[in-house]
Amino acid sequence: MGRTVRAETIVLWLCLAVVAIAGLAPIAVMAFESVWHEGHFSLNHYRELISAARYWPLFGNSIRLALATTALCGLIGVPTGILFAKSDLSLRSGFMWLLTVPFVLPPYFVALGWSRVVAHLGATSSDWLFGFGGCVLVLSSVFLPITMLLTFASASNVDGRLEEAGRLASRWPTVLRRITLPLSAPGILFSLVLVFLLVIGELSVPSFLRYPVLPVLSFTQFAASYNFGAATAAAVPLAALAFLGVLIESALLQNRVFTFRSVRRGLLISLGRWKHFFAVIVGLVSIALVILPLSALFADAFSLTALHNAVQRAGASVVRSVMYSAIAATILMTLGFLLGHLTRDRGQRLVNFLTLVLFAIPGTVLSIGLVRLWNSPITWFIYTTPALLILGYTAQYCAVTTRLSVAGFFLIPKTLDEAARLSGASWARRLFRIFVPLSTKTLICAWLAAYILCLRDVPLALMTAPPGGDPLPARILTLMANGSPPLIASLCLIMAMASIVPLAILARAIRAQAIPA
Amino acid sequence: MNHIELDGVSKTFGERIVLNDLSLQIEKAERLVLFGPSGSGKTTVLRLLAGLEVPDKGEIRIADRIVASSGKNLVPPEKRDVGMVFQDLALWPHMTVQQNLMFGLTARRVEKREAEVRVREMLRLVGLEHRMEAKPHELSGGEQQRVALARALVSRPSILLMDEPLSSLEDERKRALASDLLNLQSRFGFTLVYVTHDQTETDLLASRVCRMRDLQPADQINGATRIVR
Repeated sequence: MGRTVRAETIVLWLCLAVVAIAGLAPIAVMAFESVWHEGHFSLNHYRELISAARYWPLFGNSIRLALATTALCGLIGVPTGILFAKSDLSLRSGFMWLLTVPFVLPPYFVALGWSRVVAHLGATSSDWLFGFGGCVLVLSSVFLPITMLLTFASASNVDGRLEEAGRLASRWPTVLRRITLPLSAPGILFSLVLVFLLVIGELSVPSFLRYPVLPVLSFTQFAASYNFGAATAAAVPLAALAFLGVLIESALLQNRVFTFRSVRRGLLISLGRWKHFFAVIVGLVSIALVILPLSALFADAFSLTALHNAVQRAGASVVRSVMYSAIAATILMTLGFLLGHLTRDRGQRLVNFLTLVLFAIPGTVLSIGLVRLWNSPITWFIYTTPALLILGYTAQYCAVTTRLSVAGFFLIPKTLDEAARLSGASWARRLFRIFVPLSTKTLICAWLAAYILCLRDVPLALMTAPPGGDPLPARILTLMANGSPPLIASLCLIMAMASIVPLAILARAIRAQAIPA
Repeated sequence: MNHIELDGVSKTFGERIVLNDLSLQIEKAERLVLFGPSGSGKTTVLRLLAGLEVPDKGEIRIADRIVASSGKNLVPPEKRDVGMVFQDLALWPHMTVQQNLMFGLTARRVEKREAEVRVREMLRLVGLEHRMEAKPHELSGGEQQRVALARALVSRPSILLMDEPLSSLEDERKRALASDLLNLQSRFGFTLVYVTHDQTETDLLASRVCRMRDLQPADQINGATRIVR
């Protein structure tokens, strides 16, 4: 009997090929280029970089910024995540979505908002914003949702019966300390590792707030000096840190899957008369981190002249942004769904690891790799078109849709597939007739999450968009140099609407998803 | 004549040995009940027969054809001529009763008109013709069991595997369903392999009981069914 290659094997290899072409090949080329100088192996770029006087201070700044931001996100995000998951705090659902808003916007929006706040307060107050303190504040606002939401998901996933058993023997603080937190610890630690890695790779905020870090050096070498070797050498430590972070994540989490469940389940903490006090505290945090900067940013946006001007100057960029993000989201949803489905039984850890490495690798690093790989006359059909940007989005955010799909599959009993298999259905038939209809909500969530992430992305938009085809986040950055504040504010408002409207839909979809299938 | 043969079959999951050198023969149209406590490997035997698991060692034959041998499934589940009722029933929640039954027939390329006739006939036999358009969640527990049974039998398999499908039902319903199952078996003549840890179900259904203990069958009891019909 001859060996036949099964359809699912072919599709799996095609999916892996997409991930390899979009993400792994550029990184490999970049790593190779950094040690290949004038036709032979050389560590010259690294030697020059390491011996350069500015390298180590920049490296130190990157680490310092990442550590401080991670600590602040942990200090605020973990307690709020626990409060949202386990307490009867008033308005917790509203607060949760409000605090999530900065994450769905390009990170420099919050920085821009704070710059408007300090402009109103006077020139002397800008000293603290433009530097280390300002960067920590802004990046904490942006990445707080990661620690908050992952803590929320981890704590929600703790079996309520375990807590109730503990509650029979002791008060809730003890149960929280001895049962809930230890069981949620891997998810919380993962969120902190993720924040650390995302801050290490952040470009737009440190560059706007004039705080010198490694990604800024890498970007400058690439965009201003056009020195690929030096840009790559500056980027490789960032890639290595991402790789290390993902290794730690793999060790911490192994095969755990996160699913969103109703916050009403396993309610542990009754705040009693402190309920309103804590609501006020969370409200103040929301005002400080979200409402104040964003209202300052959007204050000038609500004039017809400014909106008209914004549409005239950047209308095409808005359309491009939405279009590129929608195309990438569709590819990402399909890729994530197929990868999640095809690796249910084996290979999932490897796929998780590879896609998470690509997610953690800074956008600047990935962009340099993509440009280096595709910048040749025979591949200009990719390099000079939005395809390069879409490849970048696909590599960077594939982890998100894959993991969301895996979490969705976790809710579908395996026997439904087995029953279909025994009925004689082929793989494709089972996929389209059983899994797709049962995963509609997961697919919607994955599409919207991918769309929002692509829309808010700055480094890929800046470095890989074709000439004259820049998406809105890159266009706003360009216009910030000479555009009037009302024009910038209007553009930011349009951008925010393009992200927040789908977020509202996502909120509804997740609420519906809270009931396991 | 033996319809199903397991010869020296072993199966482990990680470190845990689930079956150890199991040999078992089942005759055509026999009603074998695998009886035993949780963890004795009963469900694994069904899953091995269905092709949903691969034996680490040993050989499985169905109708004189080797379907699995030492670490390899030689015949995929869909080609083993096997129907299965799962413990959780595994009814597809997004499909109606009729669609649940049609799914397997259209997958096997049975002509649409003939498939519809067969579905209607099968639903009549289990007393659910009037519930064709209902979705699984609209049915009672007993009705869901009947749909699962009808779905497993609609493609007329020669072997029916049942994994404790009646465990959640009260005695009266259990007896009614067991009676229906025996009627269907005498009509279609399939070989039944039934897994349970419930003595009542064993008494109702078995023409032979295989007591599973210590990772292999401890003893086999031949006996007539004691159901009162």
